[in-house]
Amino acid sequence: MSEDKQNPTPVEPAQLGVPGEHPLSVLLFSWMRGKLFFRIFMAVLAALGAVLIALEFVLSHRAVTSILNVPGFFGIFGFVAFSIAVLSGWPLGKLLRRPEDYYETRSGEAGRDR
Amino acid sequence: MTVDRLLDFAVTINPGFYLIIAALMVAVAKDAFTRAVALIGGPVLALLAMLYPPVSGADVSRELFLGFELSLYRPDSLSLIFGLGFVLASALGGIYSLHRRDRLQDAAGLVYAGAALGAVFAGDLITLVMFAELATLASALLVFAARTGPAYRAGLRFLTIQIIAGLLLTAGAAMYGVERGTFLIAELGGLWNGLVIGIIDPGSAGGMLILAGVGIKAAFPFVHNWLTDAYPNTTETGAVVLSPYTTTMAVYLLARFFAGYEPLIWIGAAMTVYPVFFAVMENDLRKVLAYSTNNQIGFMVCAIGIGSTLSINGAAAHAVAHIVFKGLLFMTMGAVQLRLGTTKASELGGLHRTMPWTALACLVGAASISAMPFLAGYTSKTMIMTAAEAGPGMMVVWLMLLFASAGVLEHSGIKVPFMAFFSHDSGKRPEEAPFNMLLAMGLSSGLCLIIGLYPGWFYALLPFRDQAQEFLVQDLFSISHLLQQMQLLTFAVLAFMVLWWFRIYPAERPGVIIDVEWIWRKGGPALGRVLARPMRAGGRIVSGVTSSAIAGLQSAGRQVFAAEGVVSRKLPLSGAAIWALCLLGVVLLISLFR
Repeated sequence: MSEDKQNPTPVEPAQLGVPGEHPLSVLLFSWMRGKLFFRIFMAVLAALGAVLIALEFVLSHRAVTSILNVPGFFGIFGFVAFSIAVLSGWPLGKLLRRPEDYYETRSGEAGRDR
Repeated sequence: MTVDRLLDFAVTINPGFYLIIAALMVAVAKDAFTRAVALIGGPVLALLAMLYPPVSGADVSRELFLGFELSLYRPDSLSLIFGLGFVLASALGGIYSLHRRDRLQDAAGLVYAGAALGAVFAGDLITLVMFAELATLASALLVFAARTGPAYRAGLRFLTIQIIAGLLLTAGAAMYGVERGTFLIAELGGLWNGLVIGIIDPGSAGGMLILAGVGIKAAFPFVHNWLTDAYPNTTETGAVVLSPYTTTMAVYLLARFFAGYEPLIWIGAAMTVYPVFFAVMENDLRKVLAYSTNNQIGFMVCAIGIGSTLSINGAAAHAVAHIVFKGLLFMTMGAVQLRLGTTKASELGGLHRTMPWTALACLVGAASISAMPFLAGYTSKTMIMTAAEAGPGMMVVWLMLLFASAGVLEHSGIKVPFMAFFSHDSGKRPEEAPFNMLLAMGLSSGLCLIIGLYPGWFYALLPFRDQAQEFLVQDLFSISHLLQQMQLLTFAVLAFMVLWWFRIYPAERPGVIIDVEWIWRKGGPALGRVLARPMRAGGRIVSGVTSSAIAGLQSAGRQVFAAEGVVSRKLPLSGAAIWALCLLGVVLLISLFR
């Protein structure tokens, strides 16, 4: 028996997740933690969107009587509407956001107005 | 024979009473088994009673009460679908609450569910008002049950607003019933496509009051803050139990009384849009879900206003689907609240590592509310969108609903699961939710899938069954609908990723967002402070004048009635005779010219 076999280099067990992580989390969600995940997912979504618009061209037989029936309308509307909803958060937040204790403090005491 | 008679009697009782009886059992239950049997058995009994009514579309149980004819139980296809939603919510809420041994919450939750169920099966306005008031009291107890200062104050605000709504409803029902000479729903209006709906004239004074009361309960614009104020202040189970009933009951009442009333189209459309902006800014994820409830109720209100068979079907279907998927989302946030004591997005993130089952359930709920094809939300919302698209002159409304659909994806479809379970790692490693919570979440997720994948049985329960089946065959899974919805979702998610990538997605920050409630939470006290000084000054002036006047009167009284005063002086007899003569003269004159 060689010396290497007598004292094998201690091999750390493969770290599937962070300490205390649930095995199901590793199984279901660990693939999201790759460095390129965000870029790949974005590319996949863009490709899927393009395919959906192409399919609408090919499969949908609705007559184009208004802008609503133009293939891709829903995709563009979804992108724009979502962006408007999110970006409105900046000005509206500045206008309407107040400190946590504006109405009442965390301890349940009366608020600033009293 | 006796068993048959007992069963015959059992199916003539309004199913809401089964839940109220179960609530009494829970209140006195001494062991966990009895409690569990009552929490889950009550809804099961109510469901069985509901599914086997002796007659549909007729008054099953009529009583004479103080000279008024009441119909305690009047099932039809509209009440059945809403009742089904309430029973499901009650059973799922019962399972979800098993870990928390709080008799007050258990009993209040069952009474609340029973009262809401009783209201949708009520056949007259008096019974309806009674059940609605009972629901108000029980729901307020659920807010108080958190037993914290903020919850107590939120509960008082909630109760105040709900009592105002209840009073409006009661006054309206009384006026309308007296005006029409009957309180029976079946006699207030005729049939429309075989169903008693749209029976109240909103132009009458009573009708207007009923609409105002129901509008507050449905969280119409400007009176919506009771919802966003109360839900986040409850316990982890409280919001789950509170979320299905009051607003859905209001949707039922709108459908029953005001279907086809056009202003509801615009009210509903406004309700779908403005909560989107508040939900985007809000940091507390349970409050985000409360705004999301407001938004989803808007879809139903709009559909009721449209008033076609398709739109009424859509409103009813969406009410039940919403009970399931919104309940599921509240359950997942309840689990987070239980484990971490907060649902503020700025304090969460990365929880999927130790709460993967809850994260998975949240994703199912989020996909469902976003109307992802083959999930519950798609099954119901597609009906409403199709009905709105088909309506004449409805382009603006339809675009508002479409915008709101993208908004729903933002706040409930992405923000809630992403900020709580993914996003940056907060470093918190809470334990997974208790088994009973996971079971309730699993069952709700299963329902989302079953309704989405096999909508046939669900559509068969809708108020206008034939039209629903026709929609199922021709429209629901048509290529154009599927492609359009998938495009909307795909590009909206892409927009999220682009905004996140360029770091222009607004970061979650602690704080409160001021809304209409500012008027009574800040404006009222501020007005009081402004008016305090002039009112104190006025009070001092009035007090001074009053004191002087009283002192003057006392002095005059002393001078008149004292020992040497005017009335104590001795007068000659002739003087008294003259006074008596004057008095007699006056009496004579009065009697002559009377």
